[in-house]
Amino acid sequence: MNRRIFLAASISTALSACSAIGTKLNENDGFHKVLRAAEDVNERLIGTRGRVRTYAPRDVSADFPVNSLDTPGSSQYMRLIGDRFASYVLPVDGLVEHSLRLSLAQLQHMMNVTQITRHDCVEGWSAIAQWQGVRLADVLALARPKHDARYVVFHTFDVDANGMPYYESLNLQQAAHPQTLLALRQNGKPITPDRGAPVRLTVPTQLGYKSAKWVRRIEVVASMKTLYGGSGGYWEDQGYEWYAGI
Amino acid sequence: MNSRSSTVYRHSVATRLTHWLFFLAFLALVSSGLQIFNAAPFLDASDKTDRHHRVLAIQAPRDGVGTTTLLGHTFTTTGWLGWTDDGMGGTAPRAFPGWITIPAYQDLADGRRWHLFFAWIMIVCGIAYMAWGFGRGNLRELVLARSDLPNLLPMQLYYLRLRKEPPAHGKYNPLQKLAYTVVLFVFAPLIVLSGLALSPGFDAWFPWLTQAFGGRQFARLWHFVLMLALIGFFVTHLLLVLTTGVFNHLRSMITGRYTLQGANRSVEGP
Repeated sequence: MNRRIFLAASISTALSACSAIGTKLNENDGFHKVLRAAEDVNERLIGTRGRVRTYAPRDVSADFPVNSLDTPGSSQYMRLIGDRFASYVLPVDGLVEHSLRLSLAQLQHMMNVTQITRHDCVEGWSAIAQWQGVRLADVLALARPKHDARYVVFHTFDVDANGMPYYESLNLQQAAHPQTLLALRQNGKPITPDRGAPVRLTVPTQLGYKSAKWVRRIEVVASMKTLYGGSGGYWEDQGYEWYAGI
Repeated sequence: MNSRSSTVYRHSVATRLTHWLFFLAFLALVSSGLQIFNAAPFLDASDKTDRHHRVLAIQAPRDGVGTTTLLGHTFTTTGWLGWTDDGMGGTAPRAFPGWITIPAYQDLADGRRWHLFFAWIMIVCGIAYMAWGFGRGNLRELVLARSDLPNLLPMQLYYLRLRKEPPAHGKYNPLQKLAYTVVLFVFAPLIVLSGLALSPGFDAWFPWLTQAFGGRQFARLWHFVLMLALIGFFVTHLLLVLTTGVFNHLRSMITGRYTLQGANRSVEGP
């Protein structure tokens, strides 16, 4: 019995030492850089290949979580809610041959995809929804990215409590994936303000934080270094992986 | 040292190196895995998140109270699970306590960095160990052979003290070989595959993998259960090391040299 108590005590002491050492190491910049090397390996190995599974209408989650910052409260967004997004215009600009300004009616006219896919949150939960929208690839084909274009950045109406805007980015290959959509409808109805109205991104090949809600502007860039925190996204600037395929 | 003791070279450099790397990576993977679990402290036997298929939920129903619900049965686990040490000197609604997670405080982003990095250490080590073992034939002494099968029951009877002598065996007894075989060829590959099944990118590439585990949330459940199984193996391994000459074993896993003493039973490795 004594031996068992001794063993349990040693294991828990060892684990708490392990946690303490790990926490210290985690705060070491050099060590953190080494840890971050895994992201590159995963991006190279897994990348964006194939297509995610699509589901039947009966698989749709009854309660898709609203898991994000609060619904935007800016006067600009309030005005849009007021006119039911009639004055919404989505600029597509940056390193493109043809800058676009797409109204909601134009986007609705282009809408040609319906897909039921699973949304996998970085926290661990998953929810299934039906999305209707425009392939991002179709929008980019109209805008025609220039030769030095590398990334597509999604600016949103969303701002956190500290005034930091939510934004996201994909590389051109991820943006061209046939299941990457600018979604206008969720489960057969226009997307509601708390779920990203009028236009949100859905990127089922990556974790949920890539699927930016409340898209305000699409900008094509050569580098993300000059944007906000420089890591290519709101959560990425806080330490999450830019490659969110795993 | 008495006249009947002698020292043998027992573990190669490769075995010793991968052994300690496995140990480090295992600790890092469990601690960072629990950190990741804390971000969604429930496990469902389904593809999407579904309360109706919930197997485990660790919650804080109200301030200062932690509960664990396993297959519909709820237990109060305040201090251990649900309402625990927040890793910053206080307590908070956290499934697994800060003293067992990396980082100690709630930090999903860094927990994931640790987990995905040490997963690679584990995989690279595993492949190196297997390649080395197959190449030199070392694995043969660890892997269960057909000739070991009739000795499994007698060995169990010996452990249960229903038999005086263990059946004759080599460096590892038949039950040890069974344990190593299951860990190396069943648990280890399955825990890697169930982890990959959680990746939406990998799911797009090989959709049958996630489906083979019963869906993404089910794969998360598998991943967790396999972790428990590996912890079970690890604790048994520690017990055997502690009860059969801990310093001799430790030295052999550091310097490679192991002292044989008297009866040949002590040739057994943990």
